[in-house]
Amino acid sequence: MSAEWRERLAAHLIDCGVEADEAARLTSDAVAEAAEMGRNPEEFYGPPISYAKTLAAAARTSGVPLDRQRGGVVLRLTGVSKRYRRRPVLRDVSLTLHGGEIAAVVGANGAGKSTLLNICAGITRASGGTVERTARVGYAPQQHGVAPLLTASEHFRLFGAVYGMGARKAVSVGDHLAKQLGWRPRPGVVASQLSGGTQQKLNVVLSELNRPDLILLDEPYQGFDQHSYVDFWDQVLTWRDAGAGVLVVTHLLHELDRVDHVLELPRVDES
Amino acid sequence: MVTQLRQQWLHGLLELCLLSLLAERRDYGRGLVERLSAAGFDEVPGGTLYPSLLRLQKQGFVHVEHQASATGPQRKYYELTPAGRVAAIERAEAWGSFRAAVDTVTGVSS
Repeated sequence: MSAEWRERLAAHLIDCGVEADEAARLTSDAVAEAAEMGRNPEEFYGPPISYAKTLAAAARTSGVPLDRQRGGVVLRLTGVSKRYRRRPVLRDVSLTLHGGEIAAVVGANGAGKSTLLNICAGITRASGGTVERTARVGYAPQQHGVAPLLTASEHFRLFGAVYGMGARKAVSVGDHLAKQLGWRPRPGVVASQLSGGTQQKLNVVLSELNRPDLILLDEPYQGFDQHSYVDFWDQVLTWRDAGAGVLVVTHLLHELDRVDHVLELPRVDES
Repeated sequence: MVTQLRQQWLHGLLELCLLSLLAERRDYGRGLVERLSAAGFDEVPGGTLYPSLLRLQKQGFVHVEHQASATGPQRKYYELTPAGRVAAIERAEAWGSFRAAVDTVTGVSS
């Protein structure tokens, strides 16, 4: 009973991105502490799969936060507007984002949040105003970001090639970034076999593969489970602390005290 | 309902309690569980306690030492680092003023 619990905990910890030797250490500590209490581990800690998530999240806690560095401007929007035919979607949006800052884009459904993100990424053209951005941009769209029939490491190699990275380098950076999000890509598993949350993690890893100066994220928490959601904001703060500018579309208003700019898009009425 | 509230509060305050207990003296896991329940807490589940200790360790507040015990296998002792001592004092002060505000609003006087 206890041996099985132990094995399953160790395996789940590794799946959550914990290094094998640390997983072994955490597991034997857990079993020893339960024995000390005279309790069986399942009863003391709960099922291995849920305890592994909690423990892996705790193991990722980092020490003192890095000093924030405000870098140069990575994105500047000046009087940006967008209309589809006669219908206005965005009107007079301005923002200056520096490296080492986070901007949150909020607003009701239909307020043009995703349109604005696409304009920042250069995928959609603004109807008016100017958009200036840094050369290295990472972009994690809400949907359609991954190719269903490719594995995670094939994605890393493909995107790495676009950024001029060698295949080996791309895979090792990708695996490392995945681990920070509590995910260990398994060989041979194609993207369509991954859960929605894990596909979204793949998306986020791909956006970060080339160490961009500007990271654009669209609702990435939607597919994340609760623990990973917390990890996601840790990750956003890590990118910021590493000097990147992060623009994130979010509904989660209680996170707004952690960001530098809040861009609230009003619904643009037809007029 | 009340049990659930107590659990949520414990989640928010466990790190502070552990820092304070360890500021008094170093201890091992079971010792901490016993001191918490002696203080009047519901039994702290292992699935809550050990991740919390691990977080304290990763933040550099707690130092861990393995030590043989007289009766059984090795025990893992937790001890505050200097940074942990500073954190214990800062957090206890912050909690004190927060608690005073709650007491004022709820009309509880101690």
